[in-house]
Amino acid sequence: MQYWINHNGVQSGPVDLDGLKEMGLTSAAYVWHEGLADWVKITQLPELQGLYEFVGDPIAPQVSSAEPQPAAVGEPLQEADGTSGSETVAGDNPVAEPAPEPAVTGQPYQPYQPQPEQYGYGQQPQYQQPQYAQPQPDSAEPCPPTNLVWAIISTVLCCLPAGVVAIVYAVKVMNKYRDGDIDGAKRASETGAWWCIASIILGIIFQPIMSFLPLMMGSMN
Amino acid sequence: MRRSLVMALVALVLLAFGFIYFALDPSSSSLFPQCVFLSLSGYKCPGCGSQRAIHALLHGHVVEAFKFNALLLISIPWLAFCLFAETQRVRNPRLYVRLNPPLLMWLFLALVVIWWVLRNIFDW
Repeated sequence: MQYWINHNGVQSGPVDLDGLKEMGLTSAAYVWHEGLADWVKITQLPELQGLYEFVGDPIAPQVSSAEPQPAAVGEPLQEADGTSGSETVAGDNPVAEPAPEPAVTGQPYQPYQPQPEQYGYGQQPQYQQPQYAQPQPDSAEPCPPTNLVWAIISTVLCCLPAGVVAIVYAVKVMNKYRDGDIDGAKRASETGAWWCIASIILGIIFQPIMSFLPLMMGSMN
Repeated sequence: MRRSLVMALVALVLLAFGFIYFALDPSSSSLFPQCVFLSLSGYKCPGCGSQRAIHALLHGHVVEAFKFNALLLISIPWLAFCLFAETQRVRNPRLYVRLNPPLLMWLFLALVVIWWVLRNIFDW
């Protein structure tokens, strides 16, 4: 399959899987291929797993590769909120002409989105930036794990208090993720994971020691 | 790579525990830890009997396992369901959300508490 890439605002493609491997992509890259309605984050395509490096910052200032990119559009990646993005367009980008339109046939579909904020600059009222990707907050980011499997196991296998707390944190993860609070959901997920680990330590190490202690004391007497 | 290593390790530990619980009977052997809550308070905890239930289950005695710890048996289908949901987390986040309703978790917690009280009243 042929893929088109948008990595840190630089567009390239089409490349196949092998070409993709050599591009040194990060998780900040966006990908499009035939059949997709819009650009998606590279992390959302399971078949591309392992072909990119994970970075914390979604727009890491990393130079991707030195190979020639004929269809490169040197625009910075447009942010969804628009304000910071339009600043970049006006300040950092000296290119005063409209972004080169996809001249090559078979170029991926780019949804055209007029952005009223940009007209405020008055330089080019007709200038319209093609919007590369609009990650939807509820679908772009996968839900952090609820750790429910471990929570159930530790609740049923007797390390009760920690398991119950872990289940409560699983509820928290789900509620926060549904409200769109992904950071909060991640934090709840991590805390829940720690409670699971604590309950496993309690169950496997502390519990046997506690239960065998009287036996050992008895054999000593 | 690291993920598959962890998976292999987990599988190995599970196999080892499975073998121990299959070969030795927790009701007669003194090798298995006793419930701390039971020995301190004299009351059963929700997990009491789960070691014997696992032993019975590994020998195919489902009814016996149910008598040792009904909660364990009831939660096995849900556990399998959650494991399936976990495989869908990255690939299909929306499905993951739908497979993990908070209401179900609250219901399970309520079930644990009810089970805890009832088993001590009726000596289940």
